[in-house]
Amino acid sequence: MIQPAADAVGSGHDDVLLTARAAEGDQDAFAVLVTRHAPRLVRLAVRLLGDKAEAEDAVQESFINAWRRLPDFRGHSAFGTWMYRVVTNRCLNALRARRPTTPLHEVLDVAAADHSSSPSRMAESRAIAADLRTALAGLSAEQAVCWVLRELDGRSYEFIADAVGITENAARARVFRARRGLTHALGDWR
Amino acid sequence: MTTDPDPAARRPGPDEEQLPCGRLLSQAWDADPGDDHPAHCPSCADARRRLAGLRQAVLHLRDASGPALPDAGDVLRRVMDVVRLELRPGAPLPLGTPDEDMWIMESAAARVLRSAAENVPGVLAGSCRLVPGDRRPDATADITVTISIHAPATAHLPSVADDVRRAVATAATDRLGLGPTRVDVHVTDLTEEDR
Repeated sequence: MIQPAADAVGSGHDDVLLTARAAEGDQDAFAVLVTRHAPRLVRLAVRLLGDKAEAEDAVQESFINAWRRLPDFRGHSAFGTWMYRVVTNRCLNALRARRPTTPLHEVLDVAAADHSSSPSRMAESRAIAADLRTALAGLSAEQAVCWVLRELDGRSYEFIADAVGITENAARARVFRARRGLTHALGDWR
Repeated sequence: MTTDPDPAARRPGPDEEQLPCGRLLSQAWDADPGDDHPAHCPSCADARRRLAGLRQAVLHLRDASGPALPDAGDVLRRVMDVVRLELRPGAPLPLGTPDEDMWIMESAAARVLRSAAENVPGVLAGSCRLVPGDRRPDATADITVTISIHAPATAHLPSVADDVRRAVATAATDRLGLGPTRVDVHVTDLTEEDR
């Protein structure tokens, strides 16, 4: 049997070439795509789910599905955009399955008590982040996802609308309602 | 209620709060850096003060989840473990005459041919499909290869395409033992630098 030449797939190949090769069964090309996109997608999933192990699982499953679906992928969008959308929607479903959780006002009372006596600035900063994370868990999954893409991942409303499959105005409205809910939860509303 | 009509003000959505200046609360949060209205507007300033606690919390949470990218080595390893069990080898291609009964899978052949194309300076190979023609009883089947490449923008494209065609045809017959090979080269993009 013929031994293929040493692996020559590398950083010179852009995603378009790699996606075409992976669609035709080139595993090395797919490995380069995973290496290139996984870190950003894991960070996105951690921001959405708040849990590293769960985030890694979501990204892993998304890539495995991508490998299976690549032969039908026609490149209407770039591979990176496609994966961002797939991971976002997988996390959205995970969040939906997680809810309903404790009502917002109850979790916040607990969160406030947790850090009231934190001594250092660092601990306070961690506590504020934890409060917000807790408050986020009280939002609807749809609001939380749009808010995270906007405020933590810095995406445009147009991008969010495309990723989640809603109109730009609906994306704006969700971010707005999420922000209002969070402001209220953090006790600074009026 | 709006005393100072502002061309940048948007119509409020069902839940949006409109500030006394006509702007929406969301506009006070997402201030456009090129817009000097918020810097001079007391109601926007007041709105930003109300939102200051949330903004601080957002910065803390953003710092907690970045900006350093996480190591995704575990994800790569676990994904590739599954991918290596789910091969997509493509169709079998005949090597030699029918009574020799030898075959090579399309994806394995494509690897060799892409690599041959990339021996031409500056060329990067993408899609590579191989389609066998009709088999004759006493001869190896014709093969048509369609390969997509990115070529250097500075190169003379007909020469590059010729070089690729020759390199791929030679590899197909000499290295793989495929039959007479016709090679279609598609230049799908131009790269800025010779690599």
